[in-house]
Amino acid sequence: MSSEQKVSWSDSFSEAQTAIQTLSTILPSIPSTISSSDTPSLALLTDQELATQVSDHLRQPDSGAGDNQLCRWLYDTFNTSKVDLQLVVLRFLPIIAGIYLSRIPLRKPLAGFEAVLLAIYAHETTARNGQAITINLPDLSHPSIYHESKPQLHKSSSTDLNLVVISPGLDPQGTIRSTKRARIIGVGLELYNSKIVDMPIQSKLDFCEFCIIWAGQDGEFYKNFPNDNREEKGKEDDTKNEKQEGRVLLPWEMLQPMLRILSHCLMGTYKNKNHELHEAACRACRSLYARALHDINPKAILAIGSLLKLINFRKTGVDHTELPVTNVINL
Amino acid sequence: MSGESSSNQGGETEERKICANGGSVQTETVEAKLDAGNIDEAESALREGLSLNSEEARALLGRLEYQRGNVEAALGVFEGIDLEDAIQRLQSCSTEKIHKKSGLSGPHLGANLVLEAIYLKTKSLQKLNRIKDAAEECKRVLDAVEKIFPQGIPEAFVDTKLQETISRAVELLPQLWAEAGSYHEAIASYRRALLTHWNLDNDSCARIQTNFAVFLLYGGIEAVSPSTATQVDGTYNPKSNIEEAILLLMICMRKFSLGKAKWDPAVVEHLTFALSLCNQTPILAKQMEEVIPGVIHRVDLWKNLALCFSAIGHRKTALDLLKKALHKHEKPDDITSLLLAAKICSEDSSFAAEGIEYAHRAVSCSKNGNEHLQGVCLRVLGLCYGKQASISASDYERSRLQSEALKSLDEAITFDPENSDLVFELGIQYAMQRNLNNALRLAKQYIDATGGSMLRGWRLLALILSAQQRFQEAEVVTDAALDETAKWDQGPLLRLKAKLRIAQSRHLDAIETYRHLLALIQAQKKSYAPLHSTHQIEDDRVNEYEVWQGLANLYSSLSRWKDAEICLGKARAIIECSSETLHTEGTIYQRRGEIDEALATYVNSLLIEATYVPSKICVGAIMSNRGLAMLPVARTLLSDALRLEPTNRMAWLHLGFVHKLDGRLSDAIDSFQAASMLEESDPIESFNSIL
Repeated sequence: MSSEQKVSWSDSFSEAQTAIQTLSTILPSIPSTISSSDTPSLALLTDQELATQVSDHLRQPDSGAGDNQLCRWLYDTFNTSKVDLQLVVLRFLPIIAGIYLSRIPLRKPLAGFEAVLLAIYAHETTARNGQAITINLPDLSHPSIYHESKPQLHKSSSTDLNLVVISPGLDPQGTIRSTKRARIIGVGLELYNSKIVDMPIQSKLDFCEFCIIWAGQDGEFYKNFPNDNREEKGKEDDTKNEKQEGRVLLPWEMLQPMLRILSHCLMGTYKNKNHELHEAACRACRSLYARALHDINPKAILAIGSLLKLINFRKTGVDHTELPVTNVINL
Repeated sequence: MSGESSSNQGGETEERKICANGGSVQTETVEAKLDAGNIDEAESALREGLSLNSEEARALLGRLEYQRGNVEAALGVFEGIDLEDAIQRLQSCSTEKIHKKSGLSGPHLGANLVLEAIYLKTKSLQKLNRIKDAAEECKRVLDAVEKIFPQGIPEAFVDTKLQETISRAVELLPQLWAEAGSYHEAIASYRRALLTHWNLDNDSCARIQTNFAVFLLYGGIEAVSPSTATQVDGTYNPKSNIEEAILLLMICMRKFSLGKAKWDPAVVEHLTFALSLCNQTPILAKQMEEVIPGVIHRVDLWKNLALCFSAIGHRKTALDLLKKALHKHEKPDDITSLLLAAKICSEDSSFAAEGIEYAHRAVSCSKNGNEHLQGVCLRVLGLCYGKQASISASDYERSRLQSEALKSLDEAITFDPENSDLVFELGIQYAMQRNLNNALRLAKQYIDATGGSMLRGWRLLALILSAQQRFQEAEVVTDAALDETAKWDQGPLLRLKAKLRIAQSRHLDAIETYRHLLALIQAQKKSYAPLHSTHQIEDDRVNEYEVWQGLANLYSSLSRWKDAEICLGKARAIIECSSETLHTEGTIYQRRGEIDEALATYVNSLLIEATYVPSKICVGAIMSNRGLAMLPVARTLLSDALRLEPTNRMAWLHLGFVHKLDGRLSDAIDSFQAASMLEESDPIESFNSIL
C-alpha cells in the first residue's frame, strides 16, 4: 500500500487504495485512472467504466449469494465508515435493492445482498440512535421569520405545534426478516436520498429503471397528464398487457423515500441538468402513477399526481428574470 | 408596457425607438451602426439623441445587443464599461439627491442604466453558460444597490424601472448559485432575498418563496436552519428543509387567498407533494379549502379533498365529496373518482351496495379509453360484491353475491396476474365460501409472490389450514411467520398460536403462549408506541382485553373457575360492560350447572348487544331443554343466530336438536349435516379478522 504523504487529501486515502486493490481481484480490469487517482474515493464513485463493470457483475444471475466477492467488497467498503467510501456503496444501492427484490420470489440465495443492505440499515440505525425522524409542521397562526401573524391568534398556548413522524424509529435487525424487508430497503433509500447530490447520474438512472420495474405498470397512458378521457384516442398502440416481471409490493415505507428521490431527479438537479435523467424520471413517475391507481392508494395518487402536474407546468414556465422585449424603450 | 410584441419586424404595430430625457432615437438606426461595427458612432448617436453620458449610452447599446440575441456582443459592450467606477459615482451623489425625487432623470436614470447593465451582463453570462461568473456579477448588482442605498431602497422607487431591475436580480441570484452548484450560497442568497428589505412586490416575493421551497424540497441539500438571533416566544422556527419549505408554501397560499399575489398552480402541487409524503393530508385538505373558489376547478377540488380524507380513513367524508364530483352534472365518468368511491365502499358493509354501482360504472368507463384499469375496476367490483354478501339477509342472495364476487375477481386476475393483492383477495373470497383447496393454493401463491413480507398472508394460510383441521401444520406456519416478524409485531400471530394450541387440546401450552402475549402487550404499553410502530401492523395490534378474554375462556374450559374469574376481572377493568365478558361468565355458570344464573347472564349479554350470536345460541340451547312449549322460542333464537352468522356450526347443531325434539326429523338431519360439514371447515379465527 502506497502510504505516501497524501494524507491531506482525505483520511480515506489508504482505505480507498486497499479497496481498489481488492476490487481489482474481483473485476476483470480496473481503469488505470482510478488506481492512479489522487482522490481514489471520488474516482471510485464517479468512474463510468468501473460503474458499468460493477453493475454488470451485480446483474449476473448468481450475484447475490453469501459468498459473492463483490457483495463482500461492498460490505467491507461500507463498513470502513469513511463517508466518501460509503458513498461508493450507496451509489449501487438502486441496483442492489432492485435486483434483490426482484429475486425474492425466485428463492435464490441472497445473503450477499442482504449483508450489504443490513450494513446500510445498521449504519443509519446507529446514526439516528434508533430515533424516529419527526418534524414540526408550521401553522401560520404562529409568526415566523418569513411572516407576521395577527397577534390575537397566538395569545394562547404557543407550543401546540404539530409533531409529525416522517420516518419511524429503527430497531436493530440482525437478519432480514421478510416482514421488515421493505423497511430496511426504505431506510437505505432514505440514506441514499440524503446523499443524493453526490450520486452520479447513472446511479439515479438505475434508480428510475427499477422504479418502473417495481411498479410493474406501463405509465405511457399518462404522458399527457391530466388526460382528458374524451380526447384521448391513443388506443392504437394498445400495448397488449405485456407481462411485467419484477412487480413488487410498494408499501409506504418504501414508496415514500422512492418518491423523494424521484422528486429530486425531476426538479432538484440544478447543476448538470441532464435530459436523459429527466426523461427517465418522468417515465418512472408515470409508471408509479399507474401503479398508485392500481393500488387505489390515495396518498400516492395525490403525491405522484402532483409530480406529474408539475412536470407539465415546467414545460410552459415563464422566465421572470428575463427583460421584457418592447418596441419602444423608455428610459 | 405591452411586452408581447416580438422583436421581429414582422408586425407594423409600433415604431421601434428609444426614448429618454425628452428625445428619441430610431432603434434601427442604432442597430445598423452596430451591425456595421461602428460602436463609437452608435454610442454618439445615443449620447446626442438622448442626452446621455458615455457610460449610459454604452449600457444602452449593450441592452440593444442583448435584446437582439447577440449575447456575446452584448457582453463585449458591457465589459467595456467601467461599472465599478459608475457605481462609485452614484454612491457619491448621495442618497439625499435621489431622495429629493428629482424626477426621472439624473442620478436615478443613471443608476438604473448602470444596474441594468450589470444585470444584463449577468444574463449574458448565464446564457453563455458561464454560470459562476454570472452569479458573481449578479451579486455585484445587489451589493451595489446596498451601497447606493445604505438605508434601504426608498419607497419612492417602488414602481420604477430601477426597482424592476433590483427585483429581477434578487430573484435571479439564488437560481444562479444553485445552477453553479454553490448550494450553500444559494440558500444564503434566498434568505437574503426574503429577509432583507428589497421592496419586492408580492408577486416576485411569492415566486422567490416558491423557488426556495422547491430548492429545499428537492435540492437534496440539508440547509442549516435559519438563524433567528432572538428566539421570540411563540415564533415558529423551521428546523429542517421540509419544515421551511412547507412554511414558505403555506405563506404563498395565504397570499393567494388574500388576493395579494397572482395564483400559481405549482404552489399547491408542491404543497400536495410535501404534505402527502408527511402523511398530513388533513392539513393539505385545509389548505385546499382555503383557496378562493373557482381557482381550482370544483370537481378537482372535491376529488383531491376526497383523496385527502380517504388517506386517513375518513370514509364517509371522502365518499360524500366523491358523490358530488360524480354527480351527473359534474364528472360522472371520472375513473379515479369512481375507483376511489368503490374502494371506500368495499371497506364498509353499509356502503357496499352503493359501491357495486360505482364499480359497475368504473368497469364500463374502463372499457372506453382506460383499458389498463380494467383489472382494478373488476377487482373493486368483486370486493364490493363480497362485502355486500357478508351482510346479506337471505341465503339465496348471499350465494348469488358471492358468486358474483368470485366471478369479478377471477376476471380481474386475468388482466392483472401479477397483482399480489388481488391474489390475496381472491384467496380470502374462496376461504369465506369454504372453497378451501383453492383458497390454500392462492394463500401459498400470495406468500411466494410477496416473499412472505406480509403478515396477512401468513395468517390467511394458517387460518385456512386450521379450517381444514390441520392444526399442527397451521402452527408450523405460524411459527415460520413468527420467525419472519420482529418481536414487536408478533401479537396477532401469538394470539393465533394460542388458539391453535387450544384446538389441539394443548391447554398448558396455550396458557404459555397467552403469557407471552401478555408480556408483549405490557412492553408495548410501556414504550410510548406512536413514534415506534411501523407499517402494516399499526392497527393490527392485539388488544389486552382480547387476551384476558381468551384466557378466561381457556380456564373456564379447564374448569379452573378461579383463574377464569381473575381473567374476567382484568377484562372487565378494561371494558366494563361487554357481551363477550358476560357470555364467558354465563358459560362458567352453565358448566357449573347453575343454569338459571347462566340464562340470566346470557340475557344480560344480549341486552348489551342484541346481535351477539354466541349468547343467542346458548339461550336457544337452554330453551330447547325446557320442554316443548319453549321450542318455538329456541327455534326463533337459533334461526336468528343463523341469519347473522350463516356458517355458525353451533347454531346449526342446536337447531338440529330443536327440530329433532319437535319431530321434524328430516330438518334435523339437514341441520346436523350442516353442522358437521361446517365443523370440518371452520377456521380458528374468522377470516374477516385478517381484512
